[in-house]
Amino acid sequence: MTQYIIRRLIHSVIIVWGCATLVFFLMRAIPGDPIIQMLGPEYTPEAADALRRKLGLDEHVLIQYVQWMGDILRADLGSSITGAESVQSAILSGLPKTMSIAALSFVIATTIAVPAGVLAALKRNSFADFAVSLFAFLGVSMPSFWFGIILILVFAVNLGWLPSLGYASISEDGVLEWFKHLILPSMAIGAGYAAILMRFVRAGLLEAMGSDYIRTARAKGLAEKRVIVGHGLRNSLIPVVTVAGIQVALLLSGTVVIETVFAIRGIGRLLVGAIFDKDYPMVQGAILVVAVIFVFANLLVDILYTLIDPRIKYD
Amino acid sequence: MFLIRSTADEVFGPAQFVDNIFTPCETACYTNVKDMLRIGRPLAVPQRSQQMKDRGTIDWSVLSGPRVSRRTLLQLAAASGATAYAAQLSNASASGSTTQRVMGALRQEAKQGGELRWGFGLGQIPTLDPAQVNLGIVAGELLSNLFSGLVQFDQELAIIPDLAEDWEVTEDGLEYTFNLRSGLTFHNGDPLTANDFIYTYERTIDPDFASPQANKLALVTDITAPDDSTLIITQSAPYAPFLATACSRGPGRALAPVPQRAVEEMGDEQFGQAPVGCGPFMIVPETVETGGGFEMVAFENWYAGRPLLDKVTVQLVAEPSTLVSALEAGDVDMVDIVPLIGYEQISSVEDITMVEAAGTNWYGLTMSYNRPPWDNIDARMAVVKAIDFDDLNRKAFFGRAIRSIGPLAPAFGWVYVPADEVDSPQTFNLDEAKELAKKAGLEGVQPQLIGTPADQRVTETIRSQLSEIGLDVQVDQMQTNAYVERRTAGDFDMTMLGSVVDADPDDGVWNYFHSTGPSNPQGYNNPEADRLVDAQRETADEAERTRLLQELQTLVANDAVYRFFYHLPDVTAFYNYVQGYVPIPEQRYLETVWLDQ
Repeated sequence: MTQYIIRRLIHSVIIVWGCATLVFFLMRAIPGDPIIQMLGPEYTPEAADALRRKLGLDEHVLIQYVQWMGDILRADLGSSITGAESVQSAILSGLPKTMSIAALSFVIATTIAVPAGVLAALKRNSFADFAVSLFAFLGVSMPSFWFGIILILVFAVNLGWLPSLGYASISEDGVLEWFKHLILPSMAIGAGYAAILMRFVRAGLLEAMGSDYIRTARAKGLAEKRVIVGHGLRNSLIPVVTVAGIQVALLLSGTVVIETVFAIRGIGRLLVGAIFDKDYPMVQGAILVVAVIFVFANLLVDILYTLIDPRIKYD
Repeated sequence: MFLIRSTADEVFGPAQFVDNIFTPCETACYTNVKDMLRIGRPLAVPQRSQQMKDRGTIDWSVLSGPRVSRRTLLQLAAASGATAYAAQLSNASASGSTTQRVMGALRQEAKQGGELRWGFGLGQIPTLDPAQVNLGIVAGELLSNLFSGLVQFDQELAIIPDLAEDWEVTEDGLEYTFNLRSGLTFHNGDPLTANDFIYTYERTIDPDFASPQANKLALVTDITAPDDSTLIITQSAPYAPFLATACSRGPGRALAPVPQRAVEEMGDEQFGQAPVGCGPFMIVPETVETGGGFEMVAFENWYAGRPLLDKVTVQLVAEPSTLVSALEAGDVDMVDIVPLIGYEQISSVEDITMVEAAGTNWYGLTMSYNRPPWDNIDARMAVVKAIDFDDLNRKAFFGRAIRSIGPLAPAFGWVYVPADEVDSPQTFNLDEAKELAKKAGLEGVQPQLIGTPADQRVTETIRSQLSEIGLDVQVDQMQTNAYVERRTAGDFDMTMLGSVVDADPDDGVWNYFHSTGPSNPQGYNNPEADRLVDAQRETADEAERTRLLQELQTLVANDAVYRFFYHLPDVTAFYNYVQGYVPIPEQRYLETVWLDQ
């Protein structure tokens, strides 16, 4: 197992490196010169040259690449070229927000998806099953930004229960404020996530409940609750966990849109702004962080398999 | 809903409300704020024609302080041919009475204290270093609260003292002597003296610093400080807008004094995030998030006295519908500019006041003269006449735009011509358009229309309208910087362009219609237009200037350089308990604001 994890970690580093390299060159391949945009249409060539020199963009692209890689190894992600901020500090200030939203979305989604999926599977073709399916259909179909705006209109503008925008940190404003600011964006993202997860819980449980070992379990007189939770649900979790891991990407991409709607400056909005501005170091830094999160979320999923199903062994 | 109308209703009858359509998303903020909401566009240094050289008779010393009236500035600007800013003065006219009434009624009971939560429709503020700010909206609305200038504007856009309590200008208009107030300090407690302006000047013009504001100081040949409270600036040629464009609080950020010690200790990068200023409010460094906002608190030692508010929290909101909801939900007390899509929603809230000022902008569709068939007047005119403004207004501008017939905007009341008062050659006429299209052989032509995602409503509407004359418009949508690069290079058949924060109609005509204008990517080159543009800069007589500008407007409309779309006013909104706001065009000075709570 240890060996497996080490091997996976090495793979992860290679994947992250490949991702970073791809982004580095893609950003430069996309048309659009950040210098011209920064200086405005009436720029003078001299000013453009000076700025390019100042930002180190006059160097050959390969030299820039090697420099950037060297900086990363020294744990230095550089500075924004369009703003005055260091990439590190921007990411460090954005990460807690994005992770908070993602985590809360995850909690909301699983809290809804698992019981609803179990209900739908056990009461197959009942009213409850149809209701759950309808909810899942809506959840998958609704764009998160639209759902986010609807949530703002209902809970912030009309009911006035929750704030319409912004982020409150736990350390400064307390858990309650933090939660109040995050609940709407998390619901907006969590709805789609819950819908997908729910379908998998339902399908997985249905399949498991039809298996021989369930019949055996029942035959030896286990209580139905233990049959469902201990045998059915546990065995149906493998595909669910797989999907949950892959869908971390959905959570992260969801934050890109939702952070804009709720005016929260997490990694997602940071990334969007940086891409629009062609702020190379910022895009590269943010993508690097997102890649690391994604790769490790999937590593975690693979390790979780062994806990859920002791038959799975990596060696 | 309370409505405070400044110039709009006096100038052109019942107010027609239009919002700023330029904030639909982060991209839009970028495209349009950067391109169009720039108060401090790099100043096109006036051409020194023969007429201008013979300017011996002008007595430039009338520019001396402590108050330069609009009339004086106007006369001088017109006389010098350097008119940027001049007509803005002549058109800020009617706002005074309203403002004074508001101020008079409210100031008496002004309360000190409280926090103003200010929703700001930008995705991020790249920097707050005055010399590096290239967004007009950031300069006029944020920097003006963090930094004082040598001079500032009053609500009629007259120039009044700020850090300089008085100033003199020599008769030849070349030398400005500013007498600074005594006992001035920066936010960090460092004394603010004339030498700080010299340091600021040298920092701004340093080529390695690459300040986008450096060109505003291009005419300065010498800057000296005989003593701590005297600053002498010498220029190579007289130029009337100098006080407004390089010395004023906010827009004149090229000389917004920065403290050397703080800059050197913090470094340019950190200074740009949390600058140490000298204005009524000081930034709280720990609260700064480039894409989130920041807090600023009252500067107790501001020379004019502590501002009324304790604190202003600037909350950046990139998404316009969120900005509108945030105001409606009471999560912010005020928004900087009301987004177009939120106009109706906000105007239905009784507790919210909207303040509108006539716009200085224009916007339209241009076609490249360098790409056949668009060098052909028939082809261009076919496009112009095929565009149905009412339909476009409904579909793309939420019905809020004011039809325009050219670049002369409503804020410039003396020269503005409402669209319904004239018979414009650009009026929608599909039959004529079809005839012209046939003549120019437009059937099946596939023009490339470039734009950003923010332009989508416009481009889609135009594409469908132009299909009526046989054109198969290819919409090429791209992100802002790619768009700006292609537009600058003239790599398009059609694109939308316009001018927003103009100090004077000159900004919106010289840049766009002069053959050497910096915003003429379509390659318009008509000697007659050049002559009119130059002449309106150099005439001292306002009636003559009006005639020249209107003649130019007719010429460019007839030449179909653009299909002119609209003008939009500048609209802000806040809860009724926010009091004391003084509407100064394109500025948001907050020291007079207080909360009646």
